[in-house]
Amino acid sequence: MQKYRRLIPYALRQWPGLLFIGVFTVVSSLVVVLQPWPLKILVDCAFGDEALPVTLRDLLDSFSLQPTPKVLIIAAALGSLGLFALNSFIDVGLTRAWSVIGQRMVHDLAMDLFRHLQRLPLRFHHKNPVGDSLSRLTTDTWCVYKLTDGVLISPAQQILTLIAIGAVALRLHAELAAFALVTVPLMTGATFYFGKRIKQRTHLGRQAQSRLMSFVHQTLSVIPVVQAFGTEGRNWQRYQNLAADAVTLSQRGTLLMSFYGLVTGLITIAGTGVIIFVGGRQVLLGKLSLGSFLVFIAYLRVLQGTAESLIKLYGDLKPMEASIDRVLEILDAPLDDVRDDEKAKPLPATTTAKRGRTVRFENVTFGYEPERRVLSDVTLEAKPGETVALVGPTGAGKSTLVSLIPRFYDPWRGRVTIDGMDVREMSVANLRLQIAVLLQETFLFPATVAENIAYGRLDATREEIIAAARDANADEFIRRLPEGYDTVIAERGASLSGGERQRLAIARALLKNAPVLILDEPTSALDAHTESLLLEALERLMAGRTTFIIAHRLSTIRRADQIAVLNAGRIVETGTHDQLLAARGFYHRLHAQQFAGFNEEVAV
Amino acid sequence: MKSWWLRLGRYGLSQRRGLALIVLLIGVDVLFGLLRPWPMKLILDNVLKNEPLPEKLSWLNSLPGAPSGFALLAWLTVATVVLFLGGWIARTIQSYVQVSTGSRMVYALGSDLFRHLQRLSLRFHNRQSTGDLVKRVTTDCDCVRVLVMNVALPLLTSVATLAGMIVILSRLDGSLAAVALLVAPLLGFCIWFFAGPMTERTYAQFELQGATMSRAEQTLTALPVVKAFGREEYEDQRLDELWRKADKAYLRVLASELQFKVGTGTVTALATAIIFAIGGWHVLQGKLSVGSFTVFLSYTASLYGPLETLAYLSTSFASAKAGARRVLEVLESDETVLEKPNALAVAVHPGKKSGHIRLENVTFGYEPDRAVLHNVTHEAHPGETVALVGATGAGKSTLVSLIPRLFDPHEGRVTFDGVDLRDLQIASLRAQISIVLQEPFILPLSVAENIAYGRADASRKEIIAAATDASADEFIRELPDGYDTVIGERGATLSGGQRQRLAIARALLKNAPVLILDEPTSALDAHTETLLLKALERLMDGRTTFIIAHRLSTIRKATRIAVLDAGRIVELGTHQELLAAGGFYTRLHDLQFGNVK
Repeated sequence: MQKYRRLIPYALRQWPGLLFIGVFTVVSSLVVVLQPWPLKILVDCAFGDEALPVTLRDLLDSFSLQPTPKVLIIAAALGSLGLFALNSFIDVGLTRAWSVIGQRMVHDLAMDLFRHLQRLPLRFHHKNPVGDSLSRLTTDTWCVYKLTDGVLISPAQQILTLIAIGAVALRLHAELAAFALVTVPLMTGATFYFGKRIKQRTHLGRQAQSRLMSFVHQTLSVIPVVQAFGTEGRNWQRYQNLAADAVTLSQRGTLLMSFYGLVTGLITIAGTGVIIFVGGRQVLLGKLSLGSFLVFIAYLRVLQGTAESLIKLYGDLKPMEASIDRVLEILDAPLDDVRDDEKAKPLPATTTAKRGRTVRFENVTFGYEPERRVLSDVTLEAKPGETVALVGPTGAGKSTLVSLIPRFYDPWRGRVTIDGMDVREMSVANLRLQIAVLLQETFLFPATVAENIAYGRLDATREEIIAAARDANADEFIRRLPEGYDTVIAERGASLSGGERQRLAIARALLKNAPVLILDEPTSALDAHTESLLLEALERLMAGRTTFIIAHRLSTIRRADQIAVLNAGRIVETGTHDQLLAARGFYHRLHAQQFAGFNEEVAV
Repeated sequence: MKSWWLRLGRYGLSQRRGLALIVLLIGVDVLFGLLRPWPMKLILDNVLKNEPLPEKLSWLNSLPGAPSGFALLAWLTVATVVLFLGGWIARTIQSYVQVSTGSRMVYALGSDLFRHLQRLSLRFHNRQSTGDLVKRVTTDCDCVRVLVMNVALPLLTSVATLAGMIVILSRLDGSLAAVALLVAPLLGFCIWFFAGPMTERTYAQFELQGATMSRAEQTLTALPVVKAFGREEYEDQRLDELWRKADKAYLRVLASELQFKVGTGTVTALATAIIFAIGGWHVLQGKLSVGSFTVFLSYTASLYGPLETLAYLSTSFASAKAGARRVLEVLESDETVLEKPNALAVAVHPGKKSGHIRLENVTFGYEPDRAVLHNVTHEAHPGETVALVGATGAGKSTLVSLIPRLFDPHEGRVTFDGVDLRDLQIASLRAQISIVLQEPFILPLSVAENIAYGRADASRKEIIAAATDASADEFIRELPDGYDTVIGERGATLSGGQRQRLAIARALLKNAPVLILDEPTSALDAHTETLLLKALERLMDGRTTFIIAHRLSTIRKATRIAVLDAGRIVELGTHQELLAAGGFYTRLHDLQFGNVK
């Protein structure tokens, strides 16, 4: 129940719509109550010889009509037509209103979820596959719609109808009405009894379905490996097994639902039997008019409908709890320590003539999981315009170190400063404006080439975009694309080669024009030829900017002002290329390894 | 597209037994439904109004207690209860059978779609977003269930019910039955008028929903860039816009559904009112008993049910059609590399070295007018190592992707041990080839399962041996659950180098005679690379190897180096020959060791 409360605001935000639905619901239950009455008038007053109710007689008088059987037949026909029309009008209104506001609720919830997902730490997304987050976003968010329907709207409709029918029935014949109404608590009891069990079963069924879905997602996202390793047959078998599981589990759920249906059916039918027999007796004894008897029969049908919708409600509502849990799990996931401080302020403008900023790590210790340190007590400084190269074996913590600058993570201990100001004191948006990042993996969006380049600066003009592309040596291949800069890139840039993708990413970073630059192996996917073309562009970009570069190729890093050698999360050596070579330490060994083979060969 | 519902019908009919049972149960339910108002008629006419029983039913008077009114009332009540109960039970069993039969159909279709998707060429997959394809397999396949359970069966039920009612009504009162019948052409017009726009709109809505899902997927996948560029709000807005569009599309679907409902509702309401008036008139004239009149009314009330169902069929039909369009679009796309019906298995002769690869005048491109490879001829004998060198976009990765037949060349041919790849069984060909790609593609499975991906039957020992050879054993043992650590769970994230080492272990374990290495070490640092090179050399020994690498130190030991430029082989020879030639390769070499400038 606690968790339902979290979703209430989404429903309440749509209060005008809900109010409208409330009013229409009241009218609709009145119409339901009135619907069998034309028949009663017909049978009792037109065919029989009972007197017309006073209100109706007055109504006919006002049209100066006599209550002859013929007039009554036409009045009853018109009455039934009117009620029918009113009913369907209300029905259309209710459906439309409910769809609109229900959709708005889902939309609001999904947007909040997406907003939250985007702001969750990268660590969360490493653990949670994108496919899973997606299904929470697109499928589970419907819980708010179904919940509002199941907890608020449908019960309100059913209860209102029950009350209205009960009141009218009691006035017609108290004893019979009591018999009819007795079915309601019985039905409620059955619902509670089966509800819990149905919930468990449907939960299992949904789990089986989501296992199937994530398997499909998993397989399709690694399709090159699937085809290369020829695992299609095995995957297909797996699909069949998962599907069979899903069928079995949903069958079990349905079996229980069917039992529930049978029990409620028995209750309604027993009720009907009692009404027919007792009511018929009352007519024979002259205590009930034929028309009223028919009204009772019609009401029973409505009650039966109420029972059926209760069953449906339960079927819909119970699996919703799992969806709510899945949605709240995301919304409740802590946004991490990376959050704007209340007193966050923008970084002051640079005082020096240089474009760069001083970036400093002070005794930084950090790890992704408690107890598993990746960086231990790292202290490192880059002065404005300096290039610091980070070198070290895989897993030494190079990428982790630079990811602390744009505050993808906050250190456990120590601090990172820019121009002396702790990055945690700035607003995240302002901080990231200062930093351009080039990663190992390029991420392109399914938008045009131009939009991809302008991703960091939406207001860039076409000239600026082209200039950036030219600096990144991308202009030439872009112009060869079918629609040049307006070519839409397929998912993850798949139609471009690795080098082309990276050049677009470089153009994107160039256009952003930030004082601090992070290059995380930006050229490792490029061949030497393309890299050499890029290096001049990168050098142009790096000029005057504070740059952190992670690269494997020594030719890329030898020109750095400072090289920091990392091993197992610690800085083991710092200095220039020549200093480090002279020291004959860790760097010297790395250097020797990389060139050993080649130098030998050349020497021969 | 040839009639889609016939194609889907095949999947529906795959569940013949379930369907037969359902049809039988529907028959029972319809019969009980038709009989249901009759005890009430008898109660009204023969018990309450005390008219004599019709001759056919005079046997009712011989029941115990009859002909007293109360006893007859009791018997007729029992009859009502039995009719209700029978119908209810039939419907309950039917819905139970329907659920399992329906989901079996869906999965039969889904499984075919999934199989086809796995076989579609990478060119197809490069164009499509994974999220959208997943939606086609998991959601859109529901169309077959909708077609059978929400269209075909309700059609049957409604037609049977309507036919039964009309027969009975025309025997009770001919002119009244004629009025009831008049409804049919009017409703037919409504269906015809509204079905078109409804299909269009439903399809548009599906498309937009797919687009929204795939937009969200894109953003979440590229989250590091989104965050680095501080574009969260922009992405919020973009998704919001698309989502709103999808919402609007849904409302448009709803609007046409509601118009339709109003149209059909009006027709039925008018019919009911007319029956009311004419029927009442006939009762007054004594042509019709009150009981028969209520039978009429009860039938017209139930008439609305099947008619409404009929009317809604076109909505369900439209939504099934929209789903079917998306499913069949994939099933009918033939961008697969097709296996010939009489394809051969790759012949393996124990004594003879296998793995002779030859490309003959191969021309190929991903798009019709953009050839990536021009007339490439190249050969690798068993056990040779061919290194491919060249600028980004020269066609190196494309060339090697033709060897496991991920694509077919436009012109020319590729042969394996002298046989055209197109004459070989794809599975048997790919079993001969191990691949390590630039992107490692690690699945969210355990480390051991990832390594054994190409050979599910590998023993733990073999897995560990492969991991050790790939220099991966050490870091795997440091993971929370060692080889049983599920990647992506509980923070078991791997660095790029670690992921690549798993991919290498996977290829090592497969142990195939042909090896394709597409920049396998470019993500690794020099230190790790040296560790790996030994392992790779061990693996390459005796195997035909194609290697693409940027670092020249990796490739200098190749038997032959092919230098590609703009889709053509421009130089060919050993490292020393090429250096001596002083051509393209020499320039690359100089560039890499920038100091030589």
